[in-house]
Amino acid sequence: MNLDWLDAFLLFGTFQVVMVIGLALLLHLQLGLARIANFGVVGFWAIGAYAFGVLFTKVDWSIGEPWPFLISMLFGTVVAGLAGLLVGWLIADLEIEGVLVGTLGFATVVAILVTTERGLTGGALGMGGLSFPFDIGKTKANELLWFGILFVVVGAIFYYVWRVHRSPYGRLLIAVGDNEPLARSLGKPTFQTKLWLFAIGSAGMGLLGAINGVMVHLLIPEGIGINVTLAAIVGLVLGGTARVWGAVLGVILTVGFFDIVVQSYLPLPRSWYTQAIPVLREMVFGAALIIVLLVRPFGILGDMRRDKLIRSTHRD
Amino acid sequence: MIDVANAPTVTRPQIRIEGAVKSFAGRVVVDIDELVLGDSPIEGLIGPNGAGKTTLMRMIMHSAKLDRGKVTLRRGPEEDVEEVVLSDLPTHRMAGLGVVKSNQVIMDFEKLTIWDSLLLSLAAAKYEHPHRIFSEAPLFEAHAEEAREYLDFFSFADPTGFAQSAGEKKLLDIVRCLLLKPRFLLLDEPTAGLPDELTEKVMEAIRRLASEGTSVVIVEHDLNVIWSISDEVHFMAEGNIILRGPPQTIRENRTVVEKYLGEGHV
Ligand SMILES: Nc1ncnc2c1ncn2[C@@H]1O[C@H](COP(=O)(O)OP(=O)(O)OP(=O)(O)O)[C@@H](O)[C@H]1O
Ligand SMILES: [Mg+2]
Repeated sequence: MNLDWLDAFLLFGTFQVVMVIGLALLLHLQLGLARIANFGVVGFWAIGAYAFGVLFTKVDWSIGEPWPFLISMLFGTVVAGLAGLLVGWLIADLEIEGVLVGTLGFATVVAILVTTERGLTGGALGMGGLSFPFDIGKTKANELLWFGILFVVVGAIFYYVWRVHRSPYGRLLIAVGDNEPLARSLGKPTFQTKLWLFAIGSAGMGLLGAINGVMVHLLIPEGIGINVTLAAIVGLVLGGTARVWGAVLGVILTVGFFDIVVQSYLPLPRSWYTQAIPVLREMVFGAALIIVLLVRPFGILGDMRRDKLIRSTHRD
Repeated sequence: MIDVANAPTVTRPQIRIEGAVKSFAGRVVVDIDELVLGDSPIEGLIGPNGAGKTTLMRMIMHSAKLDRGKVTLRRGPEEDVEEVVLSDLPTHRMAGLGVVKSNQVIMDFEKLTIWDSLLLSLAAAKYEHPHRIFSEAPLFEAHAEEAREYLDFFSFADPTGFAQSAGEKKLLDIVRCLLLKPRFLLLDEPTAGLPDELTEKVMEAIRRLASEGTSVVIVEHDLNVIWSISDEVHFMAEGNIILRGPPQTIRENRTVVEKYLGEGHV
């Protein structure tokens, strides 16, 4: 297969966009529906990546591929989900400030552990040896196939979230976020609901982290900074926290615009790439966020429209 | 009209409150030695503002934590009464036990339509698990009829939209409670803010529920409602039930007149 037409940079940029869309969709369930402000996205994402990496590279597997790979992926997902359960249990009944500090603190703890637990994670040097579970020829071909797999995973997440909006579970999440005491008085176990939502969301974030780890081959502490969380949050808020398409649109407009258009196609000086661009990115994101929140407080797509949804789903 | 008092004998659930004390910021608001609710099908609970009526109801729901004391639900047939200590359970367990309370102050889900609210109330836990992403149709199938009955009965203007007026929100709150199929229903000023014809309808629904075996306790300042619907009335003042009896007796009682009704009421 001739893949000369495919720019490696473009492929990588698109991979990032789709991956962040996945994170933003999961965050949408937490923040947009249940109103839990999870600022620790990167923490769960990193736990998934490292748990996958540790099991995959440190264990002397006696069974053949693809089992070690798949088992490690599952392991990363489950460990991230368990971390979500623990963090969820700590923050589920806190006020918004507590949730913010708690989740942010959790991500920081993960970053510190990754740096200090050198034996497991390789510390600052990083953890290598993460390779594709297949080899179909050129690097680019392998990357394209892996991108395809990510696309399917994020597509599945999108479909799940879309269905949740049209299911009693989604209604429950909205009720919990909207008026928790009232939901409780109707017999809804709100604490448990938030806990499981956190666990499921975190597991999904962990899976995306592991998938991303395989794409980049090398896990380093610099890779798990707050910028990952910010990309998901800014994209989601910009597009509209309460809308399914908000995550997609917002992330394309922010991460897509910056990581693909600006970085690949604008003639920026080479020397900018390591120092200036990451800072520029945060600045542009911040500015975009402020402008949108001033002009359209609910994001570009606006607030949830349950009346429309109910009319279309329960047409008599 | 349904003759509630002479309806076929059913074992009604009762709520027993023992040594229950609640204070806010050091001030005792409710202090009840012993009280049993649910002896009669519909019991009125009246008393001046700040007497502690709402707080007492919230203590029963365990949405207000007791300083000390105990609230117990007794239900089941005479020879095999089951007792559940409500004050040991979290609030969200009450609905499952059939203990339900409507709200004095308007409570609503801003983001949910009227239909949403009703379906939320009707949905059992099995429909609401995270993996049940196709359970809206079965839920609708199983319960839409019930919801529609109430929507028609109370003639909501546009049930696919949001509750608009304060009255509509208040009514929606009551309908949500009714859809939970309460066995013990606590109503905190259910008709405040409702137009007369809706007040009548709410009363009719409550009478029907009571005739089917639900115990109802109703707090109201509209005393015409209390005198007409209650089989028994509790008079509460300063955190305590100081009198109970048939509506007529309470109405003419000196203390009640002095503390609450004012002279010239009778
Ligand atoms: N959450 C709270 N914090 C502080 N004080 C409270 C709280 N809830 C109630 N109180 C106080 O407790 C007392 C009893 O209030 P409660 O609402 O139970 O009275 P009520 O009998 O329902 O009155 P009303 O007829 O006006 O509804 C009042 O003095 C009120 O100010
Ligand atoms: Mg009150």
